[in-house]
Amino acid sequence: MVWVVQAQHGSDEAFTKLVEAYQTHVYNLCYRMLGDAESAEDAAQETFLRAYQHLHRYDQKRPFATWLLSIAAHYCIDRLRRRKFSMVSMDAEEDENSLELPDADAPNPESEMMHSEQREHLQVLLKRLDRMDRAAIVMRYWHDCSESEIAEALQLTVSAVKSRLHRARRELAGLWQEEGPHPKPERRPHESPAF
Amino acid sequence: MNHRPFEDWLLEDQHLTSDQERELQAHLRTCTTCSAIAESNLALHSARMISPTAGFVSRFEVRLIEHRNATRIRQIIGTTILVLAGLALVYWFASPFIQEVMRSPADWITNVVGDFLFILTSVQAFSEVSRVFTHLLSDFISPIGWLVILFLVSGLGVVEVLSIWQFTRTPQGV
Repeated sequence: MVWVVQAQHGSDEAFTKLVEAYQTHVYNLCYRMLGDAESAEDAAQETFLRAYQHLHRYDQKRPFATWLLSIAAHYCIDRLRRRKFSMVSMDAEEDENSLELPDADAPNPESEMMHSEQREHLQVLLKRLDRMDRAAIVMRYWHDCSESEIAEALQLTVSAVKSRLHRARRELAGLWQEEGPHPKPERRPHESPAF
Repeated sequence: MNHRPFEDWLLEDQHLTSDQERELQAHLRTCTTCSAIAESNLALHSARMISPTAGFVSRFEVRLIEHRNATRIRQIIGTTILVLAGLALVYWFASPFIQEVMRSPADWITNVVGDFLFILTSVQAFSEVSRVFTHLLSDFISPIGWLVILFLVSGLGVVEVLSIWQFTRTPQGV
């Protein structure tokens, strides 16, 4: 929060610290929303640029991460909307770019390969969700945002977020069922089967 | 137990008691829908964050500098256009006077000085006349007369305001 205040007073160094601290959060959201590394990089850079330009509007009562994610989510939703109406289909290109190669140095390459396939499968399914539902899912499961934080970030009501999450998860499960075969995910120790 | 509560437990991420968990496990073995929900839930919860490639901050700094330069260039271009447009407008309005001045500067200066002196003497004369007039009137009209005049002028003002209000209130051209 000190960096935020310093950045609001015009310190570029403090803003650079903020970029360092939040780059993974913002990039991950952009990647999950857009589905390819190049677009995610561009969207994340644009998010930080917009945050820099409108830093004076940031209300310090809100969590800074939520504010940043809100900018990123809205930017990605707009970008997806534009992409939808563009003449050129980018699906093939996206699928090609979004392949995540397994880490060859991992202790168990087979397990790593399985996890990588599973993540890739999830990413493919995410792309089939509605833009707003996708943003809600990513904020909920990757960024641990509460329903009220998601509502604030996406300018929805809490009940709308609940219903979107519910619908998106049902849809995701349906797609998961249809798209098989896929590797069975490993459950974490002491974790509820609902997770 | 039917299918519905299990699906709700899974979709709402509910924390389950050990009995509920056992029932759910038994249900998952027979229900493919709930099994798919549980698997997708698990995949969501075990999904990892993806980091940008190294040098993200440096790339951002470069982009920020480029953005600032572009903004500065836009501001310079905008200001230049505004100043040029203003000068063109001033020249357009002032060109008749400028042409006149250029034709014979001495005549123009004489005219300007003459106009200035005329305005000055007119103002002086008008103030002198009004001073004399008010002095004379104050002798002829009593204070009650002044009150009556003031009352009449105010009344006329009120009547005018009311009539304008009435006129604007009525829809026109219908």
